[in-house]
Amino acid sequence: MALTKMVTEVSSPPTSGSLVGALASNGQIVLVAALVIICVGISLVVPQFYSGANIIAILRQVALVLIVACGMTMLLITAEVDLSVGASLAFVGVVAMDVINLTDSVFLGAVAGIAFGAFVGLVNGVVVTRLKVNSLIATIGTMMILQGGVFLYTREAIQNHHHIASFVDIGAGYVGPVPIPVIIAAIIFVASYVVLRHTTLGRYLYAVGANEKTARLSGLRSTRLKLFAFVLTGALVGVAGLILGSLMNAGQPTAGRGFELTVIAAVILGGTSLSGGRGTLIGTLLGVFILKIIDNGIIILQWNQDLQMIVPGVVLILAIYLDILRRRADAR
Amino acid sequence: MPAEAAMAGTVAAVPPLAMTGIGKHFPGVIALDNVDLTLEAGKVHALMGENGAGKSTLIKILAGVYGKDAGTIRIAGRETTLSGPADALRQGIKVVFQEIALISEFTVAENIFLEEYPTGRTGSIDWRKISRDAKALFERIGFDVDTSARTGTLPISQQQMVEIARALAQEARIVVMDEPTSSLTPNEVALLFTVIRRLTSLGIAVIYVSHKLDEVFEIADTVTVLRDGRHISTKPIADHTNETLIQDMIGRQIDDLFPRSRGQASDKVALSVKGVGTEKLEDISFEVYSGEVLGFFGLMGAGRTELAKAIVGFDPIDSGTIAVGGKPLRPHDTRTAVSLGIGLLTEDRKGEGLMLELPVVYNLSLAALGSFARGGFIDERREREAAQSYVDRFRIRTPGLYQEIKNLSGGNQQKVLLARWLLKGLSVIVVDEPTRGIDVGAKSEIFALIDQLAADGHAIIMMTSEMPELLGLSDRIMVMGEGRITGSFSRDEATQEKILNAAIV
Repeated sequence: MALTKMVTEVSSPPTSGSLVGALASNGQIVLVAALVIICVGISLVVPQFYSGANIIAILRQVALVLIVACGMTMLLITAEVDLSVGASLAFVGVVAMDVINLTDSVFLGAVAGIAFGAFVGLVNGVVVTRLKVNSLIATIGTMMILQGGVFLYTREAIQNHHHIASFVDIGAGYVGPVPIPVIIAAIIFVASYVVLRHTTLGRYLYAVGANEKTARLSGLRSTRLKLFAFVLTGALVGVAGLILGSLMNAGQPTAGRGFELTVIAAVILGGTSLSGGRGTLIGTLLGVFILKIIDNGIIILQWNQDLQMIVPGVVLILAIYLDILRRRADAR
Repeated sequence: MPAEAAMAGTVAAVPPLAMTGIGKHFPGVIALDNVDLTLEAGKVHALMGENGAGKSTLIKILAGVYGKDAGTIRIAGRETTLSGPADALRQGIKVVFQEIALISEFTVAENIFLEEYPTGRTGSIDWRKISRDAKALFERIGFDVDTSARTGTLPISQQQMVEIARALAQEARIVVMDEPTSSLTPNEVALLFTVIRRLTSLGIAVIYVSHKLDEVFEIADTVTVLRDGRHISTKPIADHTNETLIQDMIGRQIDDLFPRSRGQASDKVALSVKGVGTEKLEDISFEVYSGEVLGFFGLMGAGRTELAKAIVGFDPIDSGTIAVGGKPLRPHDTRTAVSLGIGLLTEDRKGEGLMLELPVVYNLSLAALGSFARGGFIDERREREAAQSYVDRFRIRTPGLYQEIKNLSGGNQQKVLLARWLLKGLSVIVVDEPTRGIDVGAKSEIFALIDQLAADGHAIIMMTSEMPELLGLSDRIMVMGEGRITGSFSRDEATQEKILNAAIV
C-alpha cells in the first residue's frame, strides 16, 4: 500500500508546478514524435526539405497561423470559439490597404487593420456574452456578414497604389536571415505563453473555461474574461491580416478562405479542449508545425495539391481519437 | 398476465426479489459490501441510509445501470443477471428515479407506451388504443391526469404518476421509488402514498428509498438500513423507533457526530439581510453574528438555495438590501460580495464548485489568487505553500497538489472548496447542503470544521435538509417555506416537530 502510494506520487506531475506537469501531459510527447516522424519521412524522399529556403518557407507559413492560433487557444480555453477569423483576415487586409492608400501611412493602415480585427472580436464577444448566443453559431453569423460585407466594400483587390515599400516589408522583409512575420509571431507567442502560464489573467481564463459558474462564485468577472479573449483573438487576426496583405501587396477580399479551420484544427491538434479549461500554447505550437509541415511536404513531394486539405483532416480526427483513448486510459 | 398474478397469490413464499451478498467497487471506494435485500410481494420495503450509504448504488444495480461485482440476484426464485436497463425492465423491475426520465415533448399517453407502441393492422401506430389504454392504467392506480397533456407541462408529482403508470404498462412486479417525495408538497405526498398502496394491493413489491423517518414510518412494512455500503439491519417497521432507526443510520449517538468546541456567538453583526425579494423569495430578513452557525431548514422548493445564491450576489434580487460587516453589497455582483467577505459553498459541487480537470492547488487558490500575485504575475511558490498548509490542516487526502481534483473523494473535494474561501479570508460563509454526497466519516470532519470556523469568529449560514445536521450544528434555526421565513428557533427550543410544522406551509 505504502509502495503504491509512493509510486503514484512519483508518477504524478512534478511538484515544481511546471507547465508540462500541471496542464499538459504525455499527449505532447505524441505530438513531438509525430512531428519527428513526419520530418524524417519527408526528408528521406526529398532531402532539400532541410534546405534553408524551405525552412524559411515553412516558418513563414507557421507564423501566419500561429499568430491567430495564440488567441484562439486562449479563446478555446475559455470554452468559446471564433469561426469568423478567416473572413475577418481578408477584410483586415482590405481595410488596411485602403487606409494606406488614403493616408500614405503604413502606421495608420496597420492601426486601422488591427483595430478592425479587434472590433470584430468585440462584436463576437458581445454577441456571445451579452446576447448569450452560442459562440459557434454567433461567429458563423459574423463570418457570413464579413464575407458578404467585404464584397460590398470592394469587388476587387485593392492594390498598393502608391507602391509603399515599407508595407511590403511587414510580410516579406527580413531581420538578418529571419523573416519579419516569424519575429512577430515569436514575440506574440512568448507573450501569450507568459500571460497564460504565469499571470492571474491566464489562470482566470482557465477557470472560466473549466467552470464558469465556479469562476463567477469565486468573484471573477467571467464575461469580461471571455470578452478579452475574443478581442485579443480579433486583434491578432488584425496582425495576421496585415502580414497576409503585405505578402500579396494588396487587400484581397477572397483571401483567408478556410483559414479559420486551419487555426482551429491546429489548436485542437495541440490538445486544447473545445469544452474549455484545458490546453497549452506549446501544444498549439506543435499543432501548427505539424499541419504546416504536412502542407509543405505535400508540395515538395509534388503530391496532388488537393491532399493539402485531406491529409490534415485525417490527421485531426486521428489525433483527437488518440486523445480520447489516452484520457480513457487516464481515467482508469 | 393472470397466471403470474395467481402465482403471486399462491406461492407467497417465493420472494419476488432476493439479492444476497451484493458487492460493488468503484476506484478507491467500496460502495457496497455484502448487502442483502429480500422483498415480499404486496409489501413496501424501505431502504434507508445517509448520503453515501449505498442506497443509490444498490438501486442502480437493480435498474441495470451498474453491474454488480459480487453476490447473486434472484427474481421470483430464479437466479438472474441484469445486463442493462432494458433487461431489468424486461424482468419486471421498474425504477422511478428522482430525475424523471420522460420525454417532456411527448404526451402522457405517448410516454407511457414509449417502449412499444401498439400498432394496427397496417403497422401504423394505433393512437386511439394508446389513449384508451393510458386512461385505463390511470384508473387502476386511482389517479386522474390528462393523458393528452404534454408531459413537460405537468408538475413533478404528476410526472411521477406517469412513471408509475408506465411501470404498470410494462407489467413490472417490482417498483423502486428513489427519494420520491424530495420535491413534493405534503398533499402530493399523501396522494403518492395512496397510489403506492394501490400498487401493493395489486401484488407489486415496492422498494421505497428515503432518509425521511416520518414517511418511512407511515408507508413501509419493513426497513433495511445501509451504512457505508454495508447492510446494518432489516426489521419490521413496528420494531423500530425514531431513535433506533437514526442509530442504525448514523451508527452512533447524534451528540458524538457534532462536536461543539465553540462558545457563545459574539454580538457583532456579520451579515444583515433586509426585505430581500426575488421571483422565488419574499421579504426575507435576518441577521447573522460572527462566531455563529445559523441553520436554514426547508423542504424541497422552500427557497433555501435561491436565498443562498441571492445573498452572495450570484442571482439578482428584486428588492431589499444585503450588508456584510455594515457595508452594503451591490446585488447580482459576486465580485464585490467576495471582496467584502461573503461567499457560497455550493450544494452542486460539480456544477458550480469544482474545476474538475484542474489541479487541487488551482481549485484551492482560485478566489485568493490575487493575493499571491504581483503586477499580475503569480508567485507560485507562495501559492503552493499556502495551499499545502490547508491540505495539512484540513487533512485533505490527495496524492499531490497537482492532482486533478476530480480524482479526490467528495469529502476531500468539499474540504478543498471550504479551504478556497478560508484562504480568501471570508468573514461570512454560506454553506448549502455541506455534506451532500459525502460519506459518513468525512461528514463528521466537515461538521468539526464548520464548528471550528465558527469558533474562529466566522459567521456561517447553513442551508440544509438534513434534520440531524440542522439540530446538531446550528446556534439558531430559521425555517423556510415557499420562499418565506416561516419560523425561527433558538437552539434550545428547536425540536424536529416544531421545525417540520413550520416548514409545511
